[in-house]
This record gives sequence, C-alpha cells and structure tokens, in this order.
Amino acid sequence: MALEMMMSGPDYMRDPRKHQFSPYANNGGTSVAIAGDDFVMIASDTRLSRGFNIFSREQDKVFPLTPKTMMASSGCWADVLTLNKVLQARLTMYSHEHHDMMSTTAVAQLLSTMLYWRRFFPYYVSNILAGIDEEGKGVVYHYDPVGHMEKLTFSATGESVSQIQPLLDNQIGGLNMLGVKPPTMTKDLARQLIHDAFVSAAERDINTGDGIIIHTITKDGKTEETVKLRRD
Amino acid sequence: MFLTRSEYDRGVNTFSPEGRLFQVEYAIEAIKLGSTAIGIQTSEGVVLAVEKRITSPLMIPSTIEKIVEIDSHIGCAVSGLVADSRTLVDHARVECANHWFVYNENMKVESVAQAVSNLAIRFGDSDDDGPAMSRPFGVAMLFAGLDKSGTQLYHMDPSGTFLEFGAKAIGSGSEGAQQSLQESYHKSMTLQEALKIALTVLKQVMEEKVSGSNVEVAAVTPEKGFHRYPQDEVEAIISGL
Repeated sequence: MALEMMMSGPDYMRDPRKHQFSPYANNGGTSVAIAGDDFVMIASDTRLSRGFNIFSREQDKVFPLTPKTMMASSGCWADVLTLNKVLQARLTMYSHEHHDMMSTTAVAQLLSTMLYWRRFFPYYVSNILAGIDEEGKGVVYHYDPVGHMEKLTFSATGESVSQIQPLLDNQIGGLNMLGVKPPTMTKDLARQLIHDAFVSAAERDINTGDGIIIHTITKDGKTEETVKLRRD
Repeated sequence: MFLTRSEYDRGVNTFSPEGRLFQVEYAIEAIKLGSTAIGIQTSEGVVLAVEKRITSPLMIPSTIEKIVEIDSHIGCAVSGLVADSRTLVDHARVECANHWFVYNENMKVESVAQAVSNLAIRFGDSDDDGPAMSRPFGVAMLFAGLDKSGTQLYHMDPSGTFLEFGAKAIGSGSEGAQQSLQESYHKSMTLQEALKIALTVLKQVMEEKVSGSNVEVAAVTPEKGFHRYPQDEVEAIISGL
C-alpha cells in the first residue's frame, strides 16, 4: 500500500477512469438452413458458451414459430430469448386479429420490422428464418441484427459463419468452380451438407460443438434429428 | 316521443332504460338521407355503384367522390355524411399501408372493416390518443375487396357493426334496392351481370334519370385490383339496360 502510494499517489490524484457497462454477451452458436423444392432444413449446434465457459451442451437454438416456419437465433442469448418471446406474442396477436395463421413471408417481414425498430439499441442476434411459402416451396431468409433481410435458398449464420458459408456457396451455389452445375437439392444432400459443415466448424471453432439438431419442415409437418459433434 | 326519449339522447354513450343508444340510432337514420350505394360480390370481382346527387347545374359532378380506393385491392363506397367518411377512409388507408409495411402482404378485407369499426365506435371517449369524435360517425360504408379468401363485400354502419354480404344497398333508396338485389342476386353471377344489375337497381331507386355523370362505378377484380369505370363505359352499360 505504502509502495503504491509512493508510485502513483493517493486515489484522488490518479487520472479519472471510466468503467463502461457492456449490455451484450456473446454466447456463440451457429445455424444453417437449406431449402429444397418442397422442404426446408434448419439446424443449429447445441453448445451455449461464453468465452472459455460452456453453459450448456444441449441447447437447441431453433424455435418453432408457426406450423410452417422456424427461426434459428444465436448471439446474445438474453436477446435471443427476448426477441423470440416478443415474436411469439406478435404471432398470437396476429392470429387473433386476422383469424389466420401468419404466412412465412409475413413472418419474415415482421421479423425484419421488429429488428429495425431497435435500430439504435439492437437485439444482438443473428437470425435465419426457414419455412414453406404460399406455393409450398422451401424458403430461407437471412437477417443482420438490425433487420436487413435477404431471401435465399441456403444460408449460414452465427459464430462459425465464415467457415460454413463459403462451403455452402461452393457445394450448393456452385461458386468458385468452372463448368460445374449446382446440384438439385434433396433432403439427403441437405442433411449431409449440414452434417459436414458443422463437423468442420466444430474442428476449428471453440464456440461451436457438442451436437446438432436438424429440423426439417415439409407441407406434412416437422421432424427433427439430433447428431453428435465433438464435445471438447 | 319526447317523453319516452327524454334526456337519454343527449349523451352519446348513455343507454336509455330500454337499453338503447339513441345517438347511434339517429346516426343510422342519417344514412337513410344519403345517396344510394350498392355493392355486389361475384366470383369474378366485386362491383360498387353509387348515385351522385347533382343539386345544381353549375356543380361539377366529377368532384363528388363517394367511391374511394383504400388500397390497390380494396375499394370503398360511402353513404351518409361524406365528410365523416374521410376520417374513416383515411384510417383504413393508414391501416392497410401499415399492414403492408409490417407484414409485406395485403390486409384482409375483414381486418380493414374491423380496423375502421374500432375507430367508428371510439366516439365520445377521449384517451391517450387524444380527443375522439364527439358523436357517432354518420356514414355507412361498403368495403369491396379481394384477399386470400377471395372476393368479399363488407358493410359497416355507424354502430360499428360489420357483416359480410353477397349484395348490399345503403342510403336513401336502400330498402327498395335491397329488395331488388335479393330477387336478382345469385352466387354464379358474372362481373358483367353484376354491373348491369347494380345500374338497373340504381335506375329503379334514383329520382333523377340515370346517366354517365350522375353515377359512380368501380370494381375490384383479380386482374386489375381496384379500378373505376370511366364515364363512357358507364354510359355504354346504361344504354344496354
């Protein structure tokens, strides 16, 4: 103490210092969605972490919204939960007000609008929305945290996006290859690609791992499958 | 009459001992002074036709606007105090635009009727949204539109009650017109037939001789959405009656 006083003087003589509160946490998580002609698959890893700590090894990050729509969210887990809760409330209000289930396109636009309302204190979340549209086709919507929305046929988001997205671009989009025709998407191919993508990501990223839950939506309903990933 | 209704028709939200809201009933009476408006729903589209009362030869008939566009898929015909309808129409347009903004889809016709009804029954109460209308709105409206469930025609009166109809007439000639519609309406009607029937019925109930300048005609169809019929087309239909 005495030494410290001599080195830097008493508290009141030190430079003023500001300690800032950070309202966000990064809880990791990665999501992938792939659409086909009559189905869509949406998957996320099951690890919930912060830094070097693992909070859960079995947290599904895909949320059911309507019988035809699901959303995968990752980022700040508190924000994920709140966004989802508010969205669920909005869906219920819509069905009461309009006596109808919300279509996938309507949910997609609503999510974008809700995110943009928080433009200057955003929900710290990466979202993918997957569903079956009015024509019965599979669709994927990708979002940034402030509501920019893009309609796609495949997309990755979250912690390992930079590992997985280029893989999907190459394997589904046929990008960066000469004379290659993009494949016709089937459930088997989509499942295989999702599995490979997560295995690769779990090898390199400490915030992605433990397991994958793959949800499939078709006009007949939803199914889910759990796959194991490395747990270290 | 004064004895039975004594004082209970002063406050707009005061029930009489018999359970009636006189101001609302009077507002419904006000519709019966308005010009006749007709709506007919068919599987091909919905037709709206309205009588225009030209009270002076110096009046420019085209400035009377009793059929308005709510959104590209919904039209609305009004009868009664047309000035009151402006507030309601404006509200309907805002709701439709907002619905498109939030959900990227057309608002359902029933939902528009519901939204307008919510405003129509807010008379007399002021809250955080500011002062409301001090009396019931003196208009009846016909919402003609097209949505996920097909073509639709909704009627709303000053009490805020809204119902779906196959064919509906409002305004001064509504009693006779509704009777005629009941006789001639059938479910498999074409749009062209509906146009003809609408103008035939208007012709029956109008005091003036029906012409291209004293009626307003519009329709909502899957192909064109909301659109008005220009005067020459209206005249062509009238000459074929």
